[in-house]
Amino acid sequence: MSDNVITLMIGISTALGAFGLFALIWGIKTGQFDDQTKFLDGAKFDSEEDYKDAVMMEQKKKEALKKKREKEKNYRPAD
Amino acid sequence: MAKVSCTHCGLEFDESVMIKEQEGERELYFCCKGCEGVYHLLNQKGLDGFYEQLGNNKLEPVSLEASDDLERFDLEGFHKKYVKTNSEGFKEIHLIIEGIHCSACVWLNEKVLHQTPGILEATINYSNNKAKVVWDSDEIKLSKIIETIRAIGYNAYPYDPKLQEEKAVKLRNEYYTRILVGVFATMNIMWIAIALYTGYFTGMEQSKKNILHIAEFVLATPTLFYSGWIFFRGAYYGLKNRFINMDLLVSVGATFAYIYSIWAMVTKKGEVYFDSVTMIITFVLVGKYLEILSKRKAADTLDKILGSTPTEAMVVEGNNRKLKAIETIEPGEIIELKAGEKVVIDGVLTKGKALFDLSVLTGESEPILKEQGDEIVSGSVVIDSLVEYKTTKRANDSLLYNMTELLSDAVTKKPKIEQLANQISGYFSITILLLALLTFIGWYFFMDVGFEKSLIIAISVIVIACPCALGLATPMATLIGISKAAKEGILFKEANKIETMAKATILALDKTGTVTVGRPVVVNYAEYDDYDKNLLYSLVASSNHPVSMGVKRYLLEHYENLEKIDFESTKEVQAKGVEATKEKQKLLGGNIELLKANGIEFTISSENTLYIFAIDGKVVASFELRDIVKPAAKEFIDSIKAMGIKVVMLTGDRAEVAENIAKELGIDDVKANLLPADKAAVIDSYHKDGEVVVMVGDGINDSIALAKSDIAIAMGSGADIALEVSDVVLLNSSLNSLKSAFALAKNVYRAIKENLALSLLYNIIAVPLAIMGYVTPLIAALAMSLSSLTVVANSFRIKKS
Repeated sequence: MSDNVITLMIGISTALGAFGLFALIWGIKTGQFDDQTKFLDGAKFDSEEDYKDAVMMEQKKKEALKKKREKEKNYRPAD
Repeated sequence: MAKVSCTHCGLEFDESVMIKEQEGERELYFCCKGCEGVYHLLNQKGLDGFYEQLGNNKLEPVSLEASDDLERFDLEGFHKKYVKTNSEGFKEIHLIIEGIHCSACVWLNEKVLHQTPGILEATINYSNNKAKVVWDSDEIKLSKIIETIRAIGYNAYPYDPKLQEEKAVKLRNEYYTRILVGVFATMNIMWIAIALYTGYFTGMEQSKKNILHIAEFVLATPTLFYSGWIFFRGAYYGLKNRFINMDLLVSVGATFAYIYSIWAMVTKKGEVYFDSVTMIITFVLVGKYLEILSKRKAADTLDKILGSTPTEAMVVEGNNRKLKAIETIEPGEIIELKAGEKVVIDGVLTKGKALFDLSVLTGESEPILKEQGDEIVSGSVVIDSLVEYKTTKRANDSLLYNMTELLSDAVTKKPKIEQLANQISGYFSITILLLALLTFIGWYFFMDVGFEKSLIIAISVIVIACPCALGLATPMATLIGISKAAKEGILFKEANKIETMAKATILALDKTGTVTVGRPVVVNYAEYDDYDKNLLYSLVASSNHPVSMGVKRYLLEHYENLEKIDFESTKEVQAKGVEATKEKQKLLGGNIELLKANGIEFTISSENTLYIFAIDGKVVASFELRDIVKPAAKEFIDSIKAMGIKVVMLTGDRAEVAENIAKELGIDDVKANLLPADKAAVIDSYHKDGEVVVMVGDGINDSIALAKSDIAIAMGSGADIALEVSDVVLLNSSLNSLKSAFALAKNVYRAIKENLALSLLYNIIAVPLAIMGYVTPLIAALAMSLSSLTVVANSFRIKKS
């Protein structure tokens, strides 16, 4: 086996493994595994509605943020 | 009559009592107005998918209590305590949602909250029912959010996330990611190391070796600096406080091995030790993680107790009632208590009378009647009516607060034995580090073998001593001990508790429920006239009072074909008994007081609790009831004494009762009339004398003493909180399994001592060899696996015994 082949094999397999590892750590950091039951039920009751829900919540947050910023912009300290 | 199930909650009731409704083709049944309301609300909002997800699960019927306490959620004091403003300027609160039974409930709550305008985030954790809600305070008030949750049949109360929990979870997640990196690197470095070791014996081209070395280097670097960061940090703090610990040994050993390996890799001379670096870090880190897990359990317990303590009380000022934060209430103010509410401030009853549940404080399940002028203590719960009382203390001086403080103290600083273990490993670390340094100096200056060889020998001393010696000996034996115990229904919550239990010198027993059966049993029965047993049976069956239940059990055991008779009326008389009428016969069942109140003359004297049954003013039967000793208790106490352990009994009960039972069992040392804090004080006094105390109990009132003792054991049927603080749980609640727990602990401890002796022997032989420079990688590997194998084999002997 040539040196290049060994380098390539070790390199690629480690990189793939590392990719999986990072995905897992990202999941932990964002709290996706905090609740085991919900995590498993998520697979059972997966539906389009949940996505719509998630989009709706994001929209709501964006609007609330926008409103808040506008309020702050219009706010003038009393002098 | 046919039973049908409620369309909303799924509980089954007779068809006649249900609210019927027609909806198109379907007939709907509801058990109450509450369930009906929630069903229509859900349909209206298009959330009927809930029932599909619910499947066959049952809910609690919705209660329609008027919620007049909503205003408290908008009080400033409440917000200061529970609500925080997040970085984006929105409000955030942590709630515990009551009434969640299944994942459908979680789904419904989240869905409803998501649809409510102004709520920006709502996540509910199924396993602990805790929810995090983020909302925009410009759009919605907190009281409205709570109302929304109540409208669909659940209840929410806040908890303070600044308590232990949040911190513990964060710490756990930190360890988790660090371990993941470590395990990933170790697994990959192992197969590269196998290739390298094979190459060591069969010969491998230098160019291929270089590739493998670089791959190992890439994997070892994040392990040492990311996963191993915890050891560097620990060593740093240790040094700062002039204290040498195991962390320092691990980090010094790993760092030197790492630096040397880089040097070997670059110069292409000698062997690399990247695999040892990752393995040491990962294994020791996993051990530390297990410690963290056990600490988290304790944090959960605290949250539960503190979470259920009310933060406000209803203060009466003339004709007004006002909710006030408990911290602001001064002695002398009048507080109104509703049925089911918990007392948070000590005081004296000024208006009304009511039964109080004192089980949190005394462990006795029987409620106590308090009248005007009686003292009431915090922690007790009003059972049946509305009363007013005058506070005599501030909240912070009250008993309940002191109890929770004591408990949090006991839970957070427990590790007396752990400190000792740390100290020992500290000395061990210093010795090994000094030896390694001396070895290096010796070889470099006196033997003249060159820097590289000297360094490698010094490192081999550290590496060979580090993980195996103290590492495997204890966990292996305890692991096998734990699994054997689990098969017998004994659950050890922490491994190192086995060791402590084996060293126990005092066994402290709670009386009620531990050595006694924990409920009144009929010990004497007298019949003065013939009467229909069914009447008495029906009378006692109508009450949930422990004495009535004791008589009921006695009747069921001694008579057959008992039938329940429907009475025209029944009335429970507070703290006295039950009255009933049947076909103009007047039935009375209760204590002497009840007879006196009804003008019946009857004299009987007994030190036991009495239950007297009278028909139409004539006494026909009397029962004497007493809490009796468990059948196996005497034998158990004898065998514990035979093990050389002193037995004492701690109880909240009266002295005479306690003395009698102690005499029966052969216990010489009895301490009666103890409040929860007193029990803990007794345990503390034993600690001062250097004793190792095992405490066995079952009530919430034992929980402080349990937390203070070295080993806490809860009998399986006990209160949840007692189970949470205990280190050992007996599933079948029998004294026999408690006995085998002691025997097992002694066995395991012996095995641990043998293991330690074996690994010490290994160190005595291996370390000098390493110092002399005879340890090549081959010998090190052989010696390590050989010593591990002997330790494992020795531990397996526990299984046989």
